[in-house]
Amino acid sequence: MSTPLIIIIVLAIILILMYNSLVAKKNQVDNIFASVDTQLKKRYDLIPNLVASVSKYMEHEKSILENITKLRSEANKPNISQKDKIDLDAKVSSALGSIMIAVENYPDLKANENVIHLQRSLNEVEAQIAAARRAYNQAVTDYNNALEMIPTNFMANAMGYKPKDVFVIPESERKNINVSELFNK
Amino acid sequence: MKSISELTDFYYKTLYPVLQELEESRKSIKKRVINISIIYTLVVFSVAFAIFGYFDFEAFIYIVIFYIAGLAWIYKYLIRDYTSDFKEKIIAPLIKEIDNNLNYLPELHIPVSNFNRSKLFTSRPDRVSGNDYVRGKIDNIDITFSDLHAEKRHKDSKNNDSWETIFQGLFIVSDFHKKFHGQTVVLPDSAQSLFGNLIGNWLQANNFSRNELIKMDNIDFEKEFVVYGTNQIESRYILTHTLMQKLLNYKKKTKHPIYVSFIGGKIYMAIEYNDDMFEPSVFRSLLNYKIAMAYIATLHLAIGIVEELKLNQKLWSKV
Repeated sequence: MSTPLIIIIVLAIILILMYNSLVAKKNQVDNIFASVDTQLKKRYDLIPNLVASVSKYMEHEKSILENITKLRSEANKPNISQKDKIDLDAKVSSALGSIMIAVENYPDLKANENVIHLQRSLNEVEAQIAAARRAYNQAVTDYNNALEMIPTNFMANAMGYKPKDVFVIPESERKNINVSELFNK
Repeated sequence: MKSISELTDFYYKTLYPVLQELEESRKSIKKRVINISIIYTLVVFSVAFAIFGYFDFEAFIYIVIFYIAGLAWIYKYLIRDYTSDFKEKIIAPLIKEIDNNLNYLPELHIPVSNFNRSKLFTSRPDRVSGNDYVRGKIDNIDITFSDLHAEKRHKDSKNNDSWETIFQGLFIVSDFHKKFHGQTVVLPDSAQSLFGNLIGNWLQANNFSRNELIKMDNIDFEKEFVVYGTNQIESRYILTHTLMQKLLNYKKKTKHPIYVSFIGGKIYMAIEYNDDMFEPSVFRSLLNYKIAMAYIATLHLAIGIVEELKLNQKLWSKV
């Protein structure tokens, strides 16, 4: 075999490997996003139930409840982009957080079995979402790295791949909760 | 759970009469060990001297090997009763003091099925030995642990067996408080610290004997450990930021390599010691503070994982 032919074959193999690794990274991002989406849906399904159980008691927090219902209907619209879903997720997380804090002010609600059950389900879903978010962020980081690093960046440019956004992980999730510190306050 | 200082108090106060008694027998056994060793050495030497002219050099190597093996056997034979006394009178009450729901079986070890199920080590052992089996419940969480020595057999060209150690140390199995279906394995990170981040990462990602590489978003944790799992999301569901931090703290406390896996609702943990724990030596005093602390600290470490990793925290998903 002649030398130029060998060089061409080697180059072709390198290009194919680069191409495949980029496609694999992009699909990994989409794949994990699908799991994030499932978990987010699970949480959205819990919202009407939650709003129905707490609205009788929560006279002063009507605006939060209306807000979260609105967010939910937005999220259920078809054809919203990954980026919009990410933004909505952050808003829903903070709205749910404020409802949970408000629940603490109503002893009747706190003791309500239905609410306790909902809180548990929400906590569980939140833990799942947190894990899915972190998996998604890692996949996006790998993908974005490939987009910016030599030599895959030339290939990615040619393929028209664009960098993707990561989820912003709330500070409360990053911190290690130290119970004794809470009591000392 | 009782703290280390409370246990040290227990060791020196409540167990003191027993300790003194054992200490007396230790001294007499020590004397006997030394005397018999001297006689044995003299006998072997005089035999070797007598046959000096008749054999070649190779025979003397066998004599030396025979001599050392004999010495080890004599030592083990002489301290046998002392060892079992020590375990029955010191280690057993210590374990009961830590938690009354724990059972101590000095002769047994964790079943090999547990070792294989843990997926911590890729090679299957051909021989497993161990002792000091502890099992029971702490805060309603099942926990078992023991000393374990797992070995693999290799045949050389002459068809002689040689044994390679897969793992030696403390092996712990406990219930895990979250529900999951896949497998997650956390191993000490050797590739990344040996070859640096770039090459190490590539090597880890292409480890065919393991599942998918899972990169964690805690820099300190990534430096110390490497994670493989069947599901990217589930592994992160198990290894929250809090748990990663706790495992890091635990590793700092043990000062030994630790292997952790999460499979079938259980957490498996292997702490490599390359040493048999809870074995007394007749040449060291039981009243020695350092020795006592070592026994107590090891027990505290093994039983403490329930509290340390908050395995007893009731979670919503597992009822």
